[in-house]
Amino acid sequence: MKKEEILLGNGAIALGLLEAGCQVLTSYPGTPSSEILPEVIRLVKSEKLNTYTEWSTNEKVALDNAFAASVTGKRAACCMKQVGLNVAADSLMSAAYLGTVGGLVIISCDDPGPHSSQTEQDTRFMARLAKVPVLDPSNPEEARKMVGLAMDISEEFRIPVILRPAIRVCHARQNIAFDTLSSNFKKGIFEKDPMRWAATPRFRLILHGELNKKLKEIGKRFDTLTQYNFHNLEAGRKYPLGIIAGGVPYAVIRDILEEQKRNDLPVLKIGTPYPFPEGLTSEFMAVCDKALVIEETDTLMEYLLRDRNKVLGRLSGHVPLEGELVPQVIYRLLDRTLTELKLQPFEGEDDSEAMELVNSLQLPVRRPTLCPGCPHRAAFFAIRKSRPKAIFTSDIGCYTLGMNLGVVDTCLDMGASITMASGFYHAFEQDGVDQPIVATIGDSTFFHSGTSGLLNAVYNDSRFILVILDNLTTAMTGMQPTPSLGIKANGSEGKAISLERLVAGCGVDFIEVLDPYDIKKMMEVLKNAAEYINEPQGGIAVVIARHPCLIAYKAEAIPEKKKVTITEECAECNFCMDRFECPAIYHDQELGRTSINKQVCTNCGVCIQICPKKAIVEVAEA
Amino acid sequence: MRPTVNIVLCGLGGQGILFMTKVLAQAGLDRGFNVMGAETHGMAQRGGSVVSHLRFGDVAGSLVRTHSAQFLVALEENEAYRNLPFLMEGGTMVANADSGRFPVDNVRVYLGKKQITCHSVSAEAIAQELGAPLSSNLALLGFFSGFDDALFSHSELRATITKISPERVREKNLRIFDAGLEKAIKEKGA
Repeated sequence: MKKEEILLGNGAIALGLLEAGCQVLTSYPGTPSSEILPEVIRLVKSEKLNTYTEWSTNEKVALDNAFAASVTGKRAACCMKQVGLNVAADSLMSAAYLGTVGGLVIISCDDPGPHSSQTEQDTRFMARLAKVPVLDPSNPEEARKMVGLAMDISEEFRIPVILRPAIRVCHARQNIAFDTLSSNFKKGIFEKDPMRWAATPRFRLILHGELNKKLKEIGKRFDTLTQYNFHNLEAGRKYPLGIIAGGVPYAVIRDILEEQKRNDLPVLKIGTPYPFPEGLTSEFMAVCDKALVIEETDTLMEYLLRDRNKVLGRLSGHVPLEGELVPQVIYRLLDRTLTELKLQPFEGEDDSEAMELVNSLQLPVRRPTLCPGCPHRAAFFAIRKSRPKAIFTSDIGCYTLGMNLGVVDTCLDMGASITMASGFYHAFEQDGVDQPIVATIGDSTFFHSGTSGLLNAVYNDSRFILVILDNLTTAMTGMQPTPSLGIKANGSEGKAISLERLVAGCGVDFIEVLDPYDIKKMMEVLKNAAEYINEPQGGIAVVIARHPCLIAYKAEAIPEKKKVTITEECAECNFCMDRFECPAIYHDQELGRTSINKQVCTNCGVCIQICPKKAIVEVAEA
Repeated sequence: MRPTVNIVLCGLGGQGILFMTKVLAQAGLDRGFNVMGAETHGMAQRGGSVVSHLRFGDVAGSLVRTHSAQFLVALEENEAYRNLPFLMEGGTMVANADSGRFPVDNVRVYLGKKQITCHSVSAEAIAQELGAPLSSNLALLGFFSGFDDALFSHSELRATITKISPERVREKNLRIFDAGLEKAIKEKGA
């Protein structure tokens, strides 16, 4: 039975996984990859399939688990965002050597822009580094098909294969038709082969040789592919300029050339940038005087093209070195290149007049902020007030927005709030400087990679306060459950893990659990914690600030609603807006005073505690 | 081949841009278009600027290029201004903004020069009157559907909203959507 739905790119990938008979899917959430696993679960439930899914505690854990499933001969996949692949890199590099049995597809989603990531790194380079094939889809439909190709190549050549959709594939929407799905019942078997699965360095050399052979064979295969790698050269014709493109930029270029009716500009589309289809590319290069390479996010294909006299791209200054290649950027760079090569430029108006107009309006930049009623805001307020001179190391999650409140000084990578705190401590301690340090980390991030840093900090006797902002969910990426809830990815019951016991297990003796909505209490506890870390027999103090996220838990997150108003006592000092930054508190320009936006206010009542003039008060119920 | 239709929807995180995009996308599919679109997820959803792109036709890419959108639908005034460059000459802008002071003079001049039609209404006030202050997205859709240059008729969008709204909010959604239409009819009559 055929169905047609408008699917998110990540939904199309989910569909492709199930069509390819994926039996095991593991993941750690991260924008723009987060919706793949939930979409698989949605389809598994609606189509009554048997695919096993899990939110793993981090990306390395996810990949190891999927790898084991592949070793039993099952088809497995693992998805993550591009920086997640850094965490899984140890597993990836080795898995490439060991090889697979059942198909193993790693989906690593890139974020050119970056819209929601620490870096603009290009997963295709990780594939090159690990020596595994990588596929680069241009839109959701192609991503869906490429999952199947990746699974087949992986199984045939016994090698992990990476699918690299960029954010504009993951978060694109497209109408997609599909048939009824069915389960893959292939049984797992583990055939012992220690020379492979537990290979020592001597055998690794042999495995490396095997890997190189596989890549060579796959390279040949990719050279003959026409559905994913193709060009539109006319036989016998020569061209002054050709375009080599892949991924999202290819789709953009196709639309622009069609709109401009430019048959004089041939395009070589590369869907499999590594191993690079050398033959097809040589054929293309031979009839073009110049070749402009347009790819996201970095210069993989540009490096792989050998003829430096012909190749234009990022290295020659024709394509921007950073930022997303949105349509207007590609349009402009193509137009500039055409003009430079004395070819016919594009026809049509540019957007410069509108851009100038918008710039002249000096529109306020809307920075993201913590939601109204967010428990992190209350915790941050208490932390800054209690430890104003501290260095605030923080981490990856909604709470990075604590930067707006002056309570986030650093954000390096997952778990670095703790490791940077211990690093700062020892750097200053060496100089005899007593530098207060407060680290903040979310519950999910702590489970992801907090414990190893905490173990290290305890073991090496670092002294700082660690506040675990426990909102009982993975909020930033869309409310995935954390291990402390004991709820698995598909909603079924797992085993709940106590954060307190985990922290105690890391060797921490000072552990206090509190509700950050009570700012006074939190400040008291932080004061005690500060004393404890300075005692000779003290250590690291951990404060677990526990209050449910308002998006994930809606009504139950505020059991006691307090309607607030601002009285005449208000001195218009803006302290509440600068230091608390609740979206519900604003300066009403007509009234000329600070006011509460009742539509936005969640009635959490936390602001009652923060006004220096005590001008924010609870409204008595009528 | 039918010409491509490009729509840009914008506003702030939390205003319901994604739902609005979903309604229009589904209406496009039901009309028999191929649908392609792009959404903002992640950090920007926490109150930052959010833009959705929607394209009907046989296109390969999900993003609308500047100067090529027939429609700009804005849930917030400043975001309407910020995304002006997407509008093509002769396009239509629909904004949740007080028509008394929107758009500002120099924007009005630009719109005139580019023959861009502008419909604005305080969708927020409509939604608030019906006790659903967070549903200005539906009010704006209703308002949008009431003009002759609208992409979809009111009954088409109404059917889509009926289809994709969760049951517990369906009636409420339709009420707000209809109220938006009434404003458009009033404006046309005026």
